[in-house]
Amino acid sequence: MSSVFRILLRRLGISVIVLIGVSMLIFAIARVIPGDPARIALGPNATAEQVAAIRTEMHLDEPIVAQYGHFVTDVLRGDLGTSLYTNRPVTQDIVEFLPATLELVIFAGLLMVALGLPLGILAARHRARWPDHVVRVLTLLTVSAPSFVWAVILMLVFAFYLPLFPVAGRIDDSYEIARVTGFLTVDTLIAGRFDAFLDVLHHLVLPAVALALSGIGQAARLTRANMVETYDKPYIEMAQAYGFAPGRIARRYAFKPSLIPSLTIIGLDFAAMLGNAFLVEAVFAWPGLSRYGVAVILRKDLNAIMGTVLVIALTFLIINIIVDLLIAFLNPRIRHSTRAAT
Amino acid sequence: MTDLLDIRGLTLGFRGLNGYTEVLHGIDLSIARGERVALVGESGSGKSVTARIILGLLQETRTARVAGRVNFDGRDISSMRARPRAALRGTDMSMIFQDPTSSLNPTFTIGRQFAEVMRRREAGLSQKACEARATAMLEEVSIPDPARVLSAYPFQLSGGMNQRVMIAMALVNNPKLLLADEPGTALDVSVQAQTLTLMQDLVARHNTAVLLISHNLGVVREFADRVYVIYRGRIVETGPTAAIFDRPGHAYTRALMAAVPRITGAGLPEVPEVSDDFLAPMVTHPEAT
Repeated sequence: MSSVFRILLRRLGISVIVLIGVSMLIFAIARVIPGDPARIALGPNATAEQVAAIRTEMHLDEPIVAQYGHFVTDVLRGDLGTSLYTNRPVTQDIVEFLPATLELVIFAGLLMVALGLPLGILAARHRARWPDHVVRVLTLLTVSAPSFVWAVILMLVFAFYLPLFPVAGRIDDSYEIARVTGFLTVDTLIAGRFDAFLDVLHHLVLPAVALALSGIGQAARLTRANMVETYDKPYIEMAQAYGFAPGRIARRYAFKPSLIPSLTIIGLDFAAMLGNAFLVEAVFAWPGLSRYGVAVILRKDLNAIMGTVLVIALTFLIINIIVDLLIAFLNPRIRHSTRAAT
Repeated sequence: MTDLLDIRGLTLGFRGLNGYTEVLHGIDLSIARGERVALVGESGSGKSVTARIILGLLQETRTARVAGRVNFDGRDISSMRARPRAALRGTDMSMIFQDPTSSLNPTFTIGRQFAEVMRRREAGLSQKACEARATAMLEEVSIPDPARVLSAYPFQLSGGMNQRVMIAMALVNNPKLLLADEPGTALDVSVQAQTLTLMQDLVARHNTAVLLISHNLGVVREFADRVYVIYRGRIVETGPTAAIFDRPGHAYTRALMAAVPRITGAGLPEVPEVSDDFLAPMVTHPEAT
């Protein structure tokens, strides 16, 4: 187990370097965007003295390296500045909007894994027979349209023509749930309101499916392709020669070695959902960080943009670390070779 | 007592895009209990597919057409359904493959794979019992540190070690028949010789019948009681090992023997690729009594 710990440490070290790079990039972008941040902050009617005063306050009169230094120390203190859009600290905005997005993305990710992997296993086990053909056609369909198209289609079909699901929002307005974590699925359970919990799930279905569909297709196709390759390996023939049932061979002997190469891409798909969530949240009026991100970009709200990008980058890194640990857990070759490598 | 394995008139064909192609044209082969029989031939002659038919693997391929009788332990496998046939695999018959390292699953420990195999025989076997029996079995194949091997993954062991593991695994359920398909061809010659000796001792001790599939005449001569020579889907010569090696009766058998380069060196032997003589009728040597 200590070798897994070693992998974790190394990945964390790399992540710190990536984060430093991201912070520099964000900082640089913020400075090259046309327009004086001080002017934008104060609005068109400000006097020259007011502008000069805020320039000093925002350290805009200092050299660029010093400005970056201030930026980094502020970020490390959890201070991302004030948003012009909401007039509140950006940190506070993120704390408010991030849980909604994470809830959506996590549910979509669960759907991707819970549906994509079994579909891939099914197709590979019955390769070149009808279950395989059905899965391949369906998944080709899901990967060939972006998630916002699916969002509109699903909304039209299952919320408008067949009103099975709510059109928008996270929860019915009639419920009053005290905010604890910001994750409504968790908060409703903390409040002991099971009816509200079900209502939250009901609201989650369409956006999560829309967000997950292409990922489900991708995961299924990837799993199938890797498993079909694994089926040609001698150890599968050996498992057959020992009379293990075909289902058991598929789930245990062929799936596990095949999952290792798929996992990196599934992890990336999971992280990419954060980006796709921008559009799905817009369609379903989901009050999440992505919608906030769109709003602040349109208003050139620099502090809020930087904060949003930083949080998304951080989430990407965390997902990648989790994927790497999972791979190390699944692949004994990696788990046991780090000792020699480090 | 009847033979353990009795194959009569076995044919195999594949349905493909160009119609039906027959690859086995009526094979007769039998193995008595505890007997060691070799099936010798060049690659593509049909020796490996024969083993896969005995295991019942090819019958489950959609394009394969198998006909003829395969009697195993008094039961006709060829007419059996897939499920009872699968029940025989890993219990009453087991198989050893060419390349031991790639035949063991890379993501499970040896111990785990051992346990799975043992639970084919006794479904409810406890972890402890599995470990104990696997340890005993590994000791039988002269593995010095069974506990370490059981907790290791195949890639952490040498090819020779994995070969021993595979032999142990194949015999742990006390099968009546062991199919060995070119065992250890992927290994060094010296390691191959060691494992062969080991296998010989073990099957003698467990009274396991063996069908050894090989193209290596040296291996066959040392190992087998009886030999079948197969050429292009037909048995061309059969008889006790000594008789065949002393007086090879069929042109193909003679060519096969001539094809082995001598260790004393006399240049590469010249063997005709095809000859009408190779299609001559089967030569049967009388059983030594």
